[in-house]
Amino acid sequence: MRAGIVRQIAGKEIVSTIRDRRAIVSNLVVPLVLLPTIMLGLPLAFGGLFTREQATQTPVAVQNLDELPPALSELLLSANVAPQASDDAEAAVTSDSVSLGLLVPLAMSDSVAAGERAELMLFTKRGNLRAEVTASKVTGAIEAYRQGLVSERLRDAGLDPAVLEPITVSSVDASSAAERSSGQLSWIIPFFIAIWTLVGGQMTAIDATAGEKERGTLEALLVAPVRRSEVVAGKFLATLLFGLAAAVMAIVGYIAGGAIVRWLVRSRLSGEAGDMLAELGGSLQITPSSVALLLVSTLLLAATMAAVLLCLTMFARSFKEAQSYVAPLSFLLIVPVVALQFNDLLDLGPAVYLVPVVNVLLLMDGIVTGAFDWAAILLTFASLAVVVALLLAFAHRNFSRESVIFRT
Amino acid sequence: MPAGEIFGLLGPNGAGKTTTLRILATLLRPDSGTASVAGHDVVAEPERVRRAIGVVNGGMGLYDRLTGREVLHYFGRLYGMSNAAIAARTEELATVLELGDALTRQAGGFSSGMKQKIVIARAVLHDPPVIFFDEATSGLDVMARRAVLDMVRRFADGKKAVVYSTHVMTEVEELCDRLAIVYRGELVAVDSVQGLYESTGTDSLEKAFFATVRRVGQPLVAA
Repeated sequence: MRAGIVRQIAGKEIVSTIRDRRAIVSNLVVPLVLLPTIMLGLPLAFGGLFTREQATQTPVAVQNLDELPPALSELLLSANVAPQASDDAEAAVTSDSVSLGLLVPLAMSDSVAAGERAELMLFTKRGNLRAEVTASKVTGAIEAYRQGLVSERLRDAGLDPAVLEPITVSSVDASSAAERSSGQLSWIIPFFIAIWTLVGGQMTAIDATAGEKERGTLEALLVAPVRRSEVVAGKFLATLLFGLAAAVMAIVGYIAGGAIVRWLVRSRLSGEAGDMLAELGGSLQITPSSVALLLVSTLLLAATMAAVLLCLTMFARSFKEAQSYVAPLSFLLIVPVVALQFNDLLDLGPAVYLVPVVNVLLLMDGIVTGAFDWAAILLTFASLAVVVALLLAFAHRNFSRESVIFRT
Repeated sequence: MPAGEIFGLLGPNGAGKTTTLRILATLLRPDSGTASVAGHDVVAEPERVRRAIGVVNGGMGLYDRLTGREVLHYFGRLYGMSNAAIAARTEELATVLELGDALTRQAGGFSSGMKQKIVIARAVLHDPPVIFFDEATSGLDVMARRAVLDMVRRFADGKKAVVYSTHVMTEVEELCDRLAIVYRGELVAVDSVQGLYESTGTDSLEKAFFATVRRVGQPLVAA
């Protein structure tokens, strides 16, 4: 194989892609912007909503408001709940007059004073986020009132409130700093890398195969004194480059976008927004060696995707037909990604690192959370290298088959 | 075929003309038999054959986002030409083929005639001794068609061996020194145009074609 010829073929594909504005937007701009928008923008937007809702005075329909003990009434007011007298709390919620209703039992203050049990009833529509926020404020106030009563009654009986808690349990997070900072949704990073290695290389692969057929340029290329292996290698390298570039843009977008947004809105990152951001991995911190491993994994994944794309799109007669071949691949990627979320519960032996794509997704998840071992890395890299070699051999064979190259 | 000859391949669609040319261009391997181009066997020495040929067909296109010059440079490099040789040959072809500003414009905006001129320039950039034309005028308007036919004649005058495949009889009558009639995958006659008239007792190529096919016992309707 002559490196100069491979470089010419790859160079032509790269120039063609770079001059396609749609490809540049979808390959480089979108991955740069999308991940920060989803992982940082949404928590900021919705986290702010939760915080605002908590701070807003929320009206609650209270049936038998006069029976509400003054101490509980005060606790409700301090929790930003505004009790409003109602004849039928349930009907008020059903008719959407308020998001939450509270039924106070008759003579509640007397019952409580007599040391009896009083049963409050909350009315809410399930699945309504605003009602859930209001309910959390109301139940929080009621719980504080209940604890006050319990303590008071125990003291009246000459008992220490601690008798009710003969055992206490403390849960300590023993995960590493990387695992903690990656958040519970760290799988989304491998998922986005996988998606972008696929999407990023798609336009180039289609243009280099089905596009060549549709335009009628493939025959001119194949009657030039170039070897089929050089044609495959050149087109593969160009596809790989754009898949890799899109994935790198996604990672850069995530890291740089996260840093910029945190710097810009530092004051707003408290409360729900901050919690959600941490949950989504918005404060991801990984070591330089992990970044290097992540890049090598991305390279191998991009190579696998590029080889798959070339093999598949070569069969298509036109750009459109090739797109219909490629579209289901994104959905196929979802299967291992969904499985990845449950990998703690699955008893996966080392053999799983021989399964292409699944292995690199698992490995990336491990790299992001700092939980990986070298055996997994070696198995994954070796498995992917073999798969890429086999796929390229298949593509090479197809570039010599009459039924494929002249299928127009 | 001697240098300077235009050899016609005449036959209806599906006769096997394109398959024959694809075998000669090393794109397809023959099931049996042998063929050599410019002294090189098409199966044993495909790369040497490819260096010796230029191929123009009616369905050939260009890379829409490359300029005419970039298309020629790309193929020149694939043929192993130096940058200086490509530049000199490009200027020469620009004059001969009247490429105008097509060298600096992206091919996506070319007319079909200009596209075909660049396709021809691409095919002869490396100055091959043998050129294959396969339905090279299909889809062209009358002016572009005339330009292509003139170019074919000019290449033959320049001592290149030209194989001209078409189903348009008038083009064969006008251009070809000799022709082969291909019908349903069979070579049914090889002669000069005049020789074919004489052997069939006809005065037009169309009549000669049908007379030849009848003479060899081929049915005249599709199976």
